[in-house]
Amino acid sequence: MVILFYFQYILFFEAISLLNFLFFSYFKDLVGREVTVELKNDLAIRGTLHSVDQYLNIKLENTRVVDQENYPHMLSVRNCFIRGSVVRYVQLPPEGVDIELLHDATRREARGG
Amino acid sequence: MATGLRLVTERVGDGAGQPVLDTDNGEEQVHVQSGVSIVIGNRPPESPGTLYISTKQVVWLSDTDRGRGYAVGFLAVSLHAVSRDPEAYPSPCIYTQIENGVEEDESEDSDAESNETLDLSKVTEMRLVPSDPDQLDTLFEIFCECAELNPEPVDEDEGEHNWVFSADQLETGGTDVEESEYPLHSIGCSNGDPDLAHTVLQLQINDQRFEDAEEMDSDNNKGHN
Repeated sequence: MVILFYFQYILFFEAISLLNFLFFSYFKDLVGREVTVELKNDLAIRGTLHSVDQYLNIKLENTRVVDQENYPHMLSVRNCFIRGSVVRYVQLPPEGVDIELLHDATRREARGG
Repeated sequence: MATGLRLVTERVGDGAGQPVLDTDNGEEQVHVQSGVSIVIGNRPPESPGTLYISTKQVVWLSDTDRGRGYAVGFLAVSLHAVSRDPEAYPSPCIYTQIENGVEEDESEDSDAESNETLDLSKVTEMRLVPSDPDQLDTLFEIFCECAELNPEPVDEDEGEHNWVFSADQLETGGTDVEESEYPLHSIGCSNGDPDLAHTVLQLQINDQRFEDAEEMDSDNNKGHN
């Protein structure tokens, strides 16, 4: 139990920088993949992830709106920049969810700190 | 909450003038684009005008009417894109969505447009139509750069982004995480889930610690028997 608490402490302490790092690096690994970004105003845009920055702003290319009937004006948008703070969900391709990668990143961060 | 589009009636300089920038707080002009029309919501375009992009905001000023102009801070620009399809809008343009802080059901488009005096606080869409469509990609990139200069302000109370958990919050078992406003934490069950930390924790202990310890225990037991 002593060991358990020790590691918990390390992980909690590291979590502040760890999660920031995890999201950012995780999304960077998804560049080039098809994702669907759902905004807080319900608009959902599907496209190829072009880039993501440290604030989780997302740039998409070859975009298309999922619900085209309600958002006809977005039909033609080819590339777009979405502010990280208005994103509700990002739907990932199943093959893009690499849990082992996340585990490894977590371990590295916990040890390196 | 970010405020949406606002009217600009003041400007500095001679002739058509320029927008008043908050230079005391580090606001700098990044780009000026002349010959730009502005389309607010579904209203007809207003032109001619000049677009001023600063490190903090986008300002459009009428070339003919010094009392006419609009501005929106980058904090309120939730999305921007290049729109080229004539079916979506007749002219190629920069399309933006504006976060105005008004609840969805309160801001029906008809309200904003039926009134003679446009209620700018309800505007959720703005298009910027440069007379030269070749400028669209440049403008798009400048918008991107400036948006990145304007991350969400840090909450003074928490001292960190609200999606970053303090040690105290995590020790309560992670329920705070579920309730937090952070938009991306529910991506897949593994991302940002506090359970992940526990899983990894257990993996570490199983891998490196407990196996040996258990073997030693069983050895000891055998010895006693």
